[in-house]
Amino acid sequence: MIDAVFDLLITKWDFFLDLLIEHLEISFLAIGIAIIFGDLVGILISEYQKSAKWTLGVINFIYTIPSISMLGFLIPFSGVGNATAVIALTIYALLPMVRSVHTGLTNVDPAIIEAAKGMGSTRKQILLKIKLPLAMPVIMSGIRNMVTMTIALTGIASFIGAGGMGVAIYRGITTNNSAMTLAGSLLTAALALLADFLLGIVEKRMQKHSKKAKRQNKIAGITILLVIVSLIVGLIFMPDPADKTIKIATKPMTEQYILGEMLEILIEQDTDLDVKLTQGVGGGTSNIEPAMEKDEFDLYPEYTGTAWNMVLKKTDIYTEKQFDQLQAAYKKKGMQWIGMYGFENTYGLVVRKEIADQYGIKTYSDLKQYASDLTFGAEYDFYEREDGYDALCDTYGMTFGKTMDLDIGLKYQALAEKQIDVMVVFTTDGQLADADAVVLRDDKDFFPSYLCGNVIRSEVLEKHPELKAEFKKLTGKIKNEDMVKMNYEVEVKEKEPRDIARKFLQTKGLIE
Amino acid sequence: MNQEIIEFKHVTKAYADNTVIEDLSFSVDQGDFITIIGSSGCGKTTTLKMINALIEPTAGDIFVEGTNIKNCDPVQLRRSIGYAIQGSVLFPHMTVEQNIAYVPNLLNKKDKKRTEQAVDKWMKIVGLDPSMKERYPSELSGGQQQRVGIARALAASPEILLMDEPFGAVDEITRSTLQDEILRIHQETHITILFVTHDIQEALKLATKVLIMDHGEIQQYDTPNQILQHPANSFVEKLVRRQRHTCLLSEDRIEQCEYSGAAAGIKTQGGIR
Repeated sequence: MIDAVFDLLITKWDFFLDLLIEHLEISFLAIGIAIIFGDLVGILISEYQKSAKWTLGVINFIYTIPSISMLGFLIPFSGVGNATAVIALTIYALLPMVRSVHTGLTNVDPAIIEAAKGMGSTRKQILLKIKLPLAMPVIMSGIRNMVTMTIALTGIASFIGAGGMGVAIYRGITTNNSAMTLAGSLLTAALALLADFLLGIVEKRMQKHSKKAKRQNKIAGITILLVIVSLIVGLIFMPDPADKTIKIATKPMTEQYILGEMLEILIEQDTDLDVKLTQGVGGGTSNIEPAMEKDEFDLYPEYTGTAWNMVLKKTDIYTEKQFDQLQAAYKKKGMQWIGMYGFENTYGLVVRKEIADQYGIKTYSDLKQYASDLTFGAEYDFYEREDGYDALCDTYGMTFGKTMDLDIGLKYQALAEKQIDVMVVFTTDGQLADADAVVLRDDKDFFPSYLCGNVIRSEVLEKHPELKAEFKKLTGKIKNEDMVKMNYEVEVKEKEPRDIARKFLQTKGLIE
Repeated sequence: MNQEIIEFKHVTKAYADNTVIEDLSFSVDQGDFITIIGSSGCGKTTTLKMINALIEPTAGDIFVEGTNIKNCDPVQLRRSIGYAIQGSVLFPHMTVEQNIAYVPNLLNKKDKKRTEQAVDKWMKIVGLDPSMKERYPSELSGGQQQRVGIARALAASPEILLMDEPFGAVDEITRSTLQDEILRIHQETHITILFVTHDIQEALKLATKVLIMDHGEIQQYDTPNQILQHPANSFVEKLVRRQRHTCLLSEDRIEQCEYSGAAAGIKTQGGIR
């Protein structure tokens, strides 16, 4: 395992380096803002004690909001991507900052403050010459905690399409590549520890009083400040020539990672457009679709049935006869379907083989009488969907004994470990080939059709008509067996999605 | 020379129902060394802090160098008055030099040379070796810290020096040395000193005039001699009973005391003159 991690780090060092820099940019921006605002707020509530109690109360309350929910709340306001990540991280970083500044300032010996006042210092002079220097050790340890925490927390930023090491972690989980997950986690931890170590040195140095140490501190301080400022400036003014860049999003599913890579390879090879690929946006359709409407993404692979129920909010079951209706509804939204790949990723139910054999379960209806003794597992959005868990239970008149929320990438493991007995799968799941499970027959045709295609903003397609040819090249090219095989290569054989995408395009003669 | 530098006129200080100072009136002449003594809570520290406007009187007026301090900017007023509080409370994050230069730096930030000269001058006067400039308060002995505290209070050459039990936290021998030092400094600089203490021995030793307070009122305000000879009331008499029977006059006057060992054999009617 460790070997695999090292191999990965060495062979994909440029990938990790990019993520590392992005990780640092996001966390440093949040840390910088938190230090400035946290100091200001901390100083204000210490100078005007009456406001301290409720300010700390409000910040405490915000701090208790789970980070995933915080990101969810923020998406409607600031969209997906780095901005939301920075805002959320800043909010979390504020509490330890405000608190340590407040504690530091209010714990300065009142006799010292009275001495300074009695000698004729103004309020500002007392704050700057006496209180802040004396509170500095407390403030510094607050900063140290906050920095470590923020760097670690930045790992979840990829959930909402922001960059950083979380991209590697999330991709690892989604594509069943534990070496990737581990590499991302280790690098995040190493980064946090390194920051803690460096700040520990800074803390020690600040307690040194000699003139020489102070001069060295000044030089070091200015250098660090310059590095941080240039990183932040880099993030703010990141070259984003929107005209020439196609922003592609994918859902956190192995096949979408592969499709994303295919699109990027093909578009960058055949056109003079650049592709900005945001892989594995957490929450899938529920977060990508709003971002499309806000022009934050230009295009993403989607499934017809999902669009019908989740985006258009139709309650009936989608069949491909309704495609024209779907396309018309999308055109009204300023988007359209293009480049239908040819494979279908619909839902299916599987049962652990030993259970299927024991009770002779072959169809969904067979499952009904045993359901109350079985544990059902699915990814969380299955429980939310119109055509999801509740509808399935209604149609077949069954109730499961227990249900579990599982991430798409962890389902098969849970089944193998007997944590669940029945689970929802996708018909293109690569791990399906390997799993000790029986696929059941949907004897009442409950699950709708889910053909895979691309949703693109019409405006983008008009601006770059050359894209049409690219989609045409992909139309009808990928059969279900192809997709299962590619997913299998990535999820079980642990190949890179980009390599698999390239190999497939080569066999189809689309690239050299 | 006998010019009034500080004057209290019918000053009252009350916190809600609790009256700390009741109709206080007294004046201090330039060059006086006033010690203020009384039991805890008698209002002596409050009286001192009203002079540099750390505490505002509820009623009455206080004049410093002829000006009603109500009409002064408190920050400017404080910068013109030296202030040393209990244990001297040095700034722990500053060197000896920075501590002493604190007020000169507030006054004239640009004239570094003048500040440096002031630091050197006052370190010499309070008896600190120049090699200590770079030290931090935590690296000093108790006595050295008090000296830095005094130098810091005097560094801007104020006309008035307020001291609130500055020698409260040092041992007996060091305290005695420091008392001699402050007397010497007083004689050298002719500065007006107001010195709060709860130690009657210290009060009588240092003062040109002693202000005895109880429950926010003046019990007696007179020279040490007069207080020992003619205690104004039973409170004062009780306070100085022991001192009336021992002699604590300064070295040059010790022989005048018939009870002192130094004056053995010399007997004067009335004891102390």
